[in-house]
Amino acid sequence: MKRTIKIFFSIFLLTVVSCSDDLNTKPLVELTLEELLANDPNAVEGILSRLYASFALSGPDGPGSSDISDDPGESPFLRGIVNLQDFTADAMKNRWGDDGLDQLTTTSNWDENNKFFRYLYNRIYYTIPQANNLLAVLSNVDVANKEQIISEVRFIRSLAYYYLIDAFGKGVLVTEENIGASAPLPESTRTELFNFVESELLAIKSTLPDINSYGRATKSAGRMLLGKLYINAEVYTGTARYDEALANTKELIDLGGYTLAPDFVSLFSADNNTSNEIIFPLIADSQNSQSFGNTTYIINGNLSTETMTLSDYGATEGWGGHRATKAWYGLYGDLNTSTDVRASLFWTTDHNFEMTDYKQWTDGYPSIKFRNSNADGSATPTSFSSTDFPLFRLADAYLMYAECLVRGASGGSLSDALDYVNDIRTRADADAIQISQSELTLAFILDERARELNLEGHRRSDLIRFGKFTGGSYLWPWKGNTVNGAAIPDYYNLFPIPLQALEANPNLNQNTGYNLN
Amino acid sequence: MNKIKNTFISIVMLFPVLMFAQQTIKGKVTDKVTNAELPSVNVVVKGTTNGTVTDFDGLFQINSVAIGDILVFTSIGYVDFEIAITSFSDLNVQMTESAESLDEVIVIGYGSTTKQDATGAVDLLKAEDFNKGAVVSADQLLAGKIAGVRITTSGGSPDAAPNIRIRGGASLNANNSPLIVIDGIPIDNTNPAGVSNPLSLINPNDIESFSILKDASSTAIYGSRASNGVIIITTKRGTTGEAQYNLSTSVSISNVDEKIDLMDGPTFTRFIQEYHPTFEGALGIEDPNGGGRILSNTDWQDAIFRTAVSSSVNFSARTNIGGKMPFRASVGYNKSEGIIERSDYERLSFSFKLTPTFFDDHLKVDMNIKGLVTDKNAIDEGGALGGAVNMDPTKPIYDDSPDNRFGGYFQNTVIDGNNLRLDGQWNPVALLKQRKRPELAYKLLANAEFDYKMHFLPELRAVVNVGTEASQAKIIETFSDNSLATYNFDTNNNDINSNFLFNPGENYRENQHITNTTLDAYLVYTKALDGLIKKFDIQGGYSYQNFKNDGTKMEYRYNEVSGLRELVIDPANINNRYFNELNLQSYFGRTNLNIDDKYLITVSMRADASSLFSEKNRWGYFPAAAVAWKINEYDFLNDSNVINELKVRLGWGKTGQQDITGAVGFYPSSPLFEVGSSTSQYLEGVALYSAKPFNGDLTWEKTQTYNAGIDFNFFKNNLISGSFDIFYRETTDLLARVPVAPGQGLTDSFVSNVGETESKGFELSTTFRPINSQDVQLEFYANTAYSRAEVTSLKDVSRISADGSGIPTGTGVNIGYHVIGNQPYSAWVFRQLYDTSGNPIHGAFADFNGDGTVNNDDRYYRPLRPNWTFGYGFNFSYKNFDLSSSFRGQIGGQVYNARRLTSGWVDKAIPNNSNSLSNVLDFYNGAANFNFIDINGNVPFSDYFLEDASFIRCENIAVSYNFNNLIKDAKLRVSGAVNNAFIITNYSGQDPENFNAIDNNFYPRPRSFTIGLNLDF
Repeated sequence: MKRTIKIFFSIFLLTVVSCSDDLNTKPLVELTLEELLANDPNAVEGILSRLYASFALSGPDGPGSSDISDDPGESPFLRGIVNLQDFTADAMKNRWGDDGLDQLTTTSNWDENNKFFRYLYNRIYYTIPQANNLLAVLSNVDVANKEQIISEVRFIRSLAYYYLIDAFGKGVLVTEENIGASAPLPESTRTELFNFVESELLAIKSTLPDINSYGRATKSAGRMLLGKLYINAEVYTGTARYDEALANTKELIDLGGYTLAPDFVSLFSADNNTSNEIIFPLIADSQNSQSFGNTTYIINGNLSTETMTLSDYGATEGWGGHRATKAWYGLYGDLNTSTDVRASLFWTTDHNFEMTDYKQWTDGYPSIKFRNSNADGSATPTSFSSTDFPLFRLADAYLMYAECLVRGASGGSLSDALDYVNDIRTRADADAIQISQSELTLAFILDERARELNLEGHRRSDLIRFGKFTGGSYLWPWKGNTVNGAAIPDYYNLFPIPLQALEANPNLNQNTGYNLN
Repeated sequence: MNKIKNTFISIVMLFPVLMFAQQTIKGKVTDKVTNAELPSVNVVVKGTTNGTVTDFDGLFQINSVAIGDILVFTSIGYVDFEIAITSFSDLNVQMTESAESLDEVIVIGYGSTTKQDATGAVDLLKAEDFNKGAVVSADQLLAGKIAGVRITTSGGSPDAAPNIRIRGGASLNANNSPLIVIDGIPIDNTNPAGVSNPLSLINPNDIESFSILKDASSTAIYGSRASNGVIIITTKRGTTGEAQYNLSTSVSISNVDEKIDLMDGPTFTRFIQEYHPTFEGALGIEDPNGGGRILSNTDWQDAIFRTAVSSSVNFSARTNIGGKMPFRASVGYNKSEGIIERSDYERLSFSFKLTPTFFDDHLKVDMNIKGLVTDKNAIDEGGALGGAVNMDPTKPIYDDSPDNRFGGYFQNTVIDGNNLRLDGQWNPVALLKQRKRPELAYKLLANAEFDYKMHFLPELRAVVNVGTEASQAKIIETFSDNSLATYNFDTNNNDINSNFLFNPGENYRENQHITNTTLDAYLVYTKALDGLIKKFDIQGGYSYQNFKNDGTKMEYRYNEVSGLRELVIDPANINNRYFNELNLQSYFGRTNLNIDDKYLITVSMRADASSLFSEKNRWGYFPAAAVAWKINEYDFLNDSNVINELKVRLGWGKTGQQDITGAVGFYPSSPLFEVGSSTSQYLEGVALYSAKPFNGDLTWEKTQTYNAGIDFNFFKNNLISGSFDIFYRETTDLLARVPVAPGQGLTDSFVSNVGETESKGFELSTTFRPINSQDVQLEFYANTAYSRAEVTSLKDVSRISADGSGIPTGTGVNIGYHVIGNQPYSAWVFRQLYDTSGNPIHGAFADFNGDGTVNNDDRYYRPLRPNWTFGYGFNFSYKNFDLSSSFRGQIGGQVYNARRLTSGWVDKAIPNNSNSLSNVLDFYNGAANFNFIDINGNVPFSDYFLEDASFIRCENIAVSYNFNNLIKDAKLRVSGAVNNAFIITNYSGQDPENFNAIDNNFYPRPRSFTIGLNLDF
């Protein structure tokens, strides 16, 4: 019997000892960094791909998945850019009446509860720490092209910070240096964030590659972002930096490699990945890169079976949401007689010129600038779009160049500026194609930017830079929630800091104006 | 010849006996309910000392009795029984268990005790007290029966998940469900794929009793998973006597009780004409004979609901193999129909239990095998219920026109170029009928417990319990031909009349294996002593639990060119595999001390490790202690006719919580990368890898509970009995999903140890037995519980939004918050303003702080969960007739009437991004208010949507009659019951009983009528 006891205890002890290691459970589907690097020689590029993708995709597991706790459909970065830059401005309105989006469309009743502000904020602060994480990984890993990859990551992080500066005006500055800090970090001012992004972009100016594989950052992309930072510097910091804006834009143009696409429509078509004008695209693919927040949102949103034929634009779903207002298409004069290609990109049949009721689909013209058909008109209708979003393109750089000069920047040539603007207008067969030097005014540039760049995620920033966004000096339909437009307060130049962020970090403060309304 | 002679002699011999009417009588004593033979029953001829005791098989024999003598049967735990002798044929005596017995064995963690020796807040519920009627799963047996245990089903589907909260739950986001232990094996929190209710995985007919451990001193021995209480399920055993069989069967009919108050066809037409006249042309369907529109009047709710018929058959056999091995086997079959079309559920279960003893009772073995197969046809609940609400009532269900493409179902369509596309709400009837999604699960739960009493030292026992819980689940979703969901286009064909196609067949498949292993091994030393210390025991042991969940999925998509369904292949994870493993290991010890039979002391200690935490944070230590003072053991009370039991209990203990897998998965503490799916690729030629968020600092959430209680039993025949407990509980290092300080984590919200809550409350349960005789018994019982929790700290923040409180205005919009100084899960709302006639003013809210503007500073908190819950009922029996009823409910709590948010505003009816109308609540009869044009801005945060959730529900009314002699040696019981008979509430919506307090797309709880037959033989 004692033997039995001994055996019993032996078994017992053996079990306990052999089991203690079971507490270190091992995932079999997810990978550790070491496993990832061992499995895939391109692992680091795979993580980099993810960072670029953070501007277009909602999550790692298809369009229904989300990297953040917000709705995968409504929250993607690019959808946020379009919502916050174009629907808040004069060009585009949405008719769904969705809570939050409706307030953007009518530039009214903005507050910290509006989930659409949170979406962009959370996406910005998804990209930034993911970039920091890759920088930390790269400091311990040997990989070919390391310096270039590091500069690409820093470009991506700078781009995310750029939207923080532009949209929210302040926030926490978090880098690879303070990974793991658990106590809430202090709030940085708009100028501090500006200085950080400036120093980052200057630091990678020479290490970004001249050319890169499609969808990745180049020296030109870096200069474009720097140019955008400088051209808005007066808004961001109070100090104008048009000289530097001009210098970077000029460098970009002089570096070469990009030319205006002969066919304007080709820039916004499903095969625009072949375009030589796009400096930095956000990629979309109907099969492999699906998102409800990439150009799918723009294309499907501007279509409705009520008045249009979806398959003409390579779509299978019309969401019946977005229409432009006369503040945009009025800039081309009479649409019926205009020769401007850009004037033809509105669907007018069965639609009213005036947007008397923004919730009425037929009030206002849907924009058919973006489409999921190819440049030659051929199309395979798909529910997701394959059209890449031209976040940076040469025509934008041309107009920035011209604007800096008109604003008095030194270091460029006014005749070059005039040529650039006329190149854009010639490409579009615009009426009275050639403008003269005297016609190249700030007001003209703002309008030309609308004609050329609307719905490409720049409009609100442009209006603010030209002092036209808030106040009553410039009114557009449904500004301030009235049909003919009404003044809106100056604090609308920044969006409110979302409630979730304020609750998560007590060091953050609400933007002036929103805590009082 | 010899035979005749013998008979003659016998008669002669018997003659004197008959003359004096003095004889021997034999008989058998059995339990009236279970038919178990009762050993050790005292049998005495009344007024004499002539008596005996029944043997092991319940048999007895008494000599020298006469006609007219009265036999008195007494046994602890049974009502005394008297019978007059009218003949000398064998007596079959059936004794009724007394409703309350102090000697009842209560199973507790790693051992058992009796009701009178329990030191913690422990409740026992036995088979005869279970809820009756249409019962599919074990939780339904228990609802409303135990003070402080709130069971809220997620709805009325046959496999509805119950949310069980003991004392309200301690955590914010971590799992708040109690630990469930079946025959000593702690059950996994993760269900097999397709199974919603973990308690549907055991046949309710196999359950002998529930022990509910509520306070920390009793639960701490289960440590890691016991912060929210423990429910121990013990299944029925074999017999030590003759073989017994039971056959029971029941049929029930269920109906929807309360529908949503929507507009009917004519009302909707009137509404569109009055409020949206430009859309009048969208009503109904086009008349094929030209001219106007044909308006139907379809009740889409009626179209998806049905009268459901359910049935069950159970058979069990209890025997004693070779006189040595008590054995029970059962098989049960249950077929339940939900009240929504195609919501079908079938379960086949079997169980074996073998409890032999060896070596002169030194080795006791308890072996259990339980198996079951469940087959559920999962319906798209949200699609069907939401669809029935939204679908325009002027549209028909069916469409018999020759060009109908959708199998005869009507569907809104729109012509787009050369495609005829689906438009607006999909026909919910077609959605239900065109899809099949059998979710099949096989499950095996097996364990063997060896309890060995040392030969050389009988005071020392070694107990080993090994168990496994294995399941295999298979889900296959298929569509029938012409189904809406598979309607697609061939883009190479431009002919609108022929370019469409359907993709019948398989659309989704999932296979899953769960393999859980558990081992408990411990030594117990028990010593009975003379002197002040009467008895002490000490035990120590080790516990191992491993949960492994491994599955694969097949996902499909439609080819954008051909319209054909094709498999999605993800090269990085070809099988779409998922693999989750959780490992828990513990060491535990406990000692019990009995001082002079008056004081009972229990001290326990447990150390737990969880694989969810990193190595440095892995171990948690959970001590507990309790003392009980048995006042009734004092000599001066021994002969009291008033006080049968009076015991005071005090307990303290600490328990842990680690289960955050629902919020952040199984590997939340280490940095990992996830491979992007085939549709989430970006740069060409490289796979996409995402760094997953993690928190390396995660550690145990700890709950400390103080408990004081009294158990009482007064007057003869247990006239009044019950218990009262008060508790105070504080939870620290709360595991909760909180927003991450922006930029300081790999996503915007994650779980961390963030704060503290306090809660306090009490529970009272009493039973009153005014009549307790052999023929008539009447018992009333009532329980009530109060608990109130408060958030006392949230580390860096003052408020976090509460998971589960999302309102249907888009993902991530929560109405509920956990706020310092308030009860957890409180709604953060504006005070609605009303006009003089009492109608809410759209978008107008009280300016609480009087600063002239209405913003978030003017919102206030209103707790959503109730503080008071109660249950009460009665059992009455007269001879062979039984009548019982039970009620339960809550006082307070709020429910957010989200139906008003989804369907209670005027503009909801008109199309958003389609050409089709949506039905709305009936504004004309007050179900919604015309002032609500839209629900933009802060309208969804108005307290207008909150309503009082107090209710009383009649859980069941049941009657039964026993026919004892209808068939020889058999007993037949016929029963009838109505479940969910009625509900009393002020709530204007469908059903106020809603766990998350957001009433939206709710599967209605049916009212059921059941008839049952039960045969014991």
